[in-house]
Amino acid sequence: MNTVLNDTVRDTDVLPERIKHFPFPFSGDIYRYSANVEPSRKIITTEAGAWGGRLVHIDEHYLAELKDRDEVLERDPSRLQVLPHMRPAVWDAISTLLPALVEEYPDTLSFAREGNSCRWRNSLQDLDVEFTIGDDTSLPMGPLRFLGSQIQDDLVFLDHRQDALWLDAGVVTFAADWSVGFDVGMKFMEVHHPVPRVKEEKIASRAEQFLMRLQPGEQYRRTNWTLTIDRRLDTSTETYPDWAHDRITIADDPALPDRLHLRVEVQHMIRLPHSGAVLFMVRSYLLPLSDIARVPVWRENMGRVLAELPDDMAEYKGIIHYAKAASDWLLAN
Amino acid sequence: MRAASQSPATVTGCEPGFRGVICVSFGAANTLADHDAGGMPRQDFRFASANPEALANLRSVLERSCVGVRLVLAGPPADVHAAASAVAECGLVDEEITLLCDEVGPRVIFCGHCHASTTTDHPIGTDVDCRGCATTLTFTDHFSRRVGGYLGFSAHAEEAA
Amino acid sequence: MTATALQTKFHPVLEGTLQLEVTNVSAQTDSITSITFGDPLGELLPSYVPGSHLVVQYGTGANAYSLTGAGNAPREYAISVLRVEDGAGGSLAMHALSVGDRVQVSRPRSAFAPAATAKHHLLIAAGIGITPVLSHARYAAEWGASASLIYVHRPGTGAHVQDARDLLGSGLTECTDRGSFQEVLTRKLTTQRLGTHLYVCGPADFMDSVLEQARDLGWPKGLLHSEAFSAAALDDGQPFAVNLARSGITVEVPAGVSLLETLENAGLSIPNMCRKGICGECAVPVLRGVPQHRDLYLTDQEKADNTTMMCCVSRSLDPELELDL
Repeated sequence: MNTVLNDTVRDTDVLPERIKHFPFPFSGDIYRYSANVEPSRKIITTEAGAWGGRLVHIDEHYLAELKDRDEVLERDPSRLQVLPHMRPAVWDAISTLLPALVEEYPDTLSFAREGNSCRWRNSLQDLDVEFTIGDDTSLPMGPLRFLGSQIQDDLVFLDHRQDALWLDAGVVTFAADWSVGFDVGMKFMEVHHPVPRVKEEKIASRAEQFLMRLQPGEQYRRTNWTLTIDRRLDTSTETYPDWAHDRITIADDPALPDRLHLRVEVQHMIRLPHSGAVLFMVRSYLLPLSDIARVPVWRENMGRVLAELPDDMAEYKGIIHYAKAASDWLLAN
Repeated sequence: MRAASQSPATVTGCEPGFRGVICVSFGAANTLADHDAGGMPRQDFRFASANPEALANLRSVLERSCVGVRLVLAGPPADVHAAASAVAECGLVDEEITLLCDEVGPRVIFCGHCHASTTTDHPIGTDVDCRGCATTLTFTDHFSRRVGGYLGFSAHAEEAA
Repeated sequence: MTATALQTKFHPVLEGTLQLEVTNVSAQTDSITSITFGDPLGELLPSYVPGSHLVVQYGTGANAYSLTGAGNAPREYAISVLRVEDGAGGSLAMHALSVGDRVQVSRPRSAFAPAATAKHHLLIAAGIGITPVLSHARYAAEWGASASLIYVHRPGTGAHVQDARDLLGSGLTECTDRGSFQEVLTRKLTTQRLGTHLYVCGPADFMDSVLEQARDLGWPKGLLHSEAFSAAALDDGQPFAVNLARSGITVEVPAGVSLLETLENAGLSIPNMCRKGICGECAVPVLRGVPQHRDLYLTDQEKADNTTMMCCVSRSLDPELELDL
């Protein structure tokens, strides 16, 4: 018994950062949809380390992921959508998130505001920029694209009106199988229409009620997960023809443990203070099964969750063709 | 959208400040002839389809109208949805609009890959070839009111070589 | 700089409480005084949604007052308070404040927000009801949105009249008697372009009358907005007692304190997550008594069964509940 414990401790000590800070989403052997919201910034310790102390998390993939986002937007500008009435919400997000980022990374970032004139410095990108809140021309790439070039999270803006939330703006380059170009302008409930079980179990309507009651200053988060083949962040509907075929071939690929990734979205929900819009921030983490397997409890948890997952949920998550192969590998090793 | 063949006589317009019921029907059948306006003054408009000219006409009718108006849109789903999307941009809320879609009739499929719109008579759950990128699309009932159409995605991408 | 950032360092119950200093007191009229509060260290205050209110503590009570600014990264929070001689004492306490006094205030709470999609904002205010719609008018000016205002006040007793004139110009219609207001209202309600949203604040009977006339003239509910202070948050509720059957103790739950907090204070460890009646974590079994269900988690059937309650938000309809704890 003692030997086992000591081994575990030693293993954890030498684990790389990407595993130590990974937001492993399973706490048992069964997964179901739930409105699993909790206050944000609460640190969650895992078998491998901890995650969750920050609203915005900058990690070793920062520059690479922002380059990825920029390339996606160059290729397909439809991933950025701002319906005209959402301009104030976008500026509100800028004036809310930049100071929040500085609080978390004061050594590398700085933000100064005098009236509506702002100065933003980001030493990670060697950036020093001045702009005026409310003046779209003061940020040549546009305010939302600028904000999207500073943080790894995808951003989705929900307008609150007529007793509902409406997805009316967003910069979403790392979508897990959806299209912001199609969804923009929809009500929250319409966005979630394709998710199985959600209607019967009233999860989306409860989540919407919760979000409509959020007050400025409150921050909540939840996690969601799926599986992604290769380190591919852009698994949008737009690029589906490029990656869908992998879903069939991966099950028999000997490289499955390195190619198949657990994809976890840490979703933060905040009420923007001035516009009143709800901001949904979606940060996607990818970790290959070979890394998951380095943490024995994770390996077993995830193996059992995949083995038990009902078909309708596996189908919706797009993992039905290879969930068993993944589960078999995890539970065999 | 189908070809336009709209008669100018159908767009004489409302008097400025109209606050009654605006009945708009698309397609061959005048589906709203018997519509009950609940005793409110009504104005009728008929368009062959929801083409850009018809939508521009509809917008200008709404610009002359005032709060209190009710709008009824009737006809094939593709036309009704296109018109509903256009009038939502005028600031109308759901309570002000009644949509009466024909049970059968063309619908718009939005290609999730190239974003082109394809009009089809096929029922939900079947395939249609995208007019933009020629991909064979399958579509479900996932509907966007802004696009006025259903999401289509590659039917055979998973098995493609 | 930190004042504009998200507040997270407080216990959830204290979250959003700010201690501010009175920075200015000035008489608007004989009975209305404007008071501004600022951060004692001069930091920016949290932004707020137009039409928001601030809960200001006085002695053992607290009152909600509409903020009159636009709400964009303000240096000060400004309220205007009508003196009510026979009220609960809040307005008298506010009128007694002087520069330098410290007050405890909530973070601004939004319950009367402008509709972002509106093509035009028709603002209607009577008397002290000018305060939240002035905030709306400032926000509209800030973003170049179209707005007009009907302001009913008796000659010489209207607060912020000059502010309204400066902000709205020809978009302002002032009425100083009921008859002229009725005429203006009917005309405005029948001539608004589509996409106009209506916002009304004033005495309750005034608001009711405006809203009723708007509905009668075909205005749909989705275009009508009125100020209702209590709608944003769950109210404090009535005090009640809980008898914990297994622990063999009875604890009192005061108004304004949740059952969850009371149980925690009594040393019980109740699993919980959102503390807002959504996640379902803090369900407690009810043995006797009728809970006042205020959560969004339980189904209607479960609520009717009265065998489970969410202790973070729900309270009691009976003076005492018995719980299986």
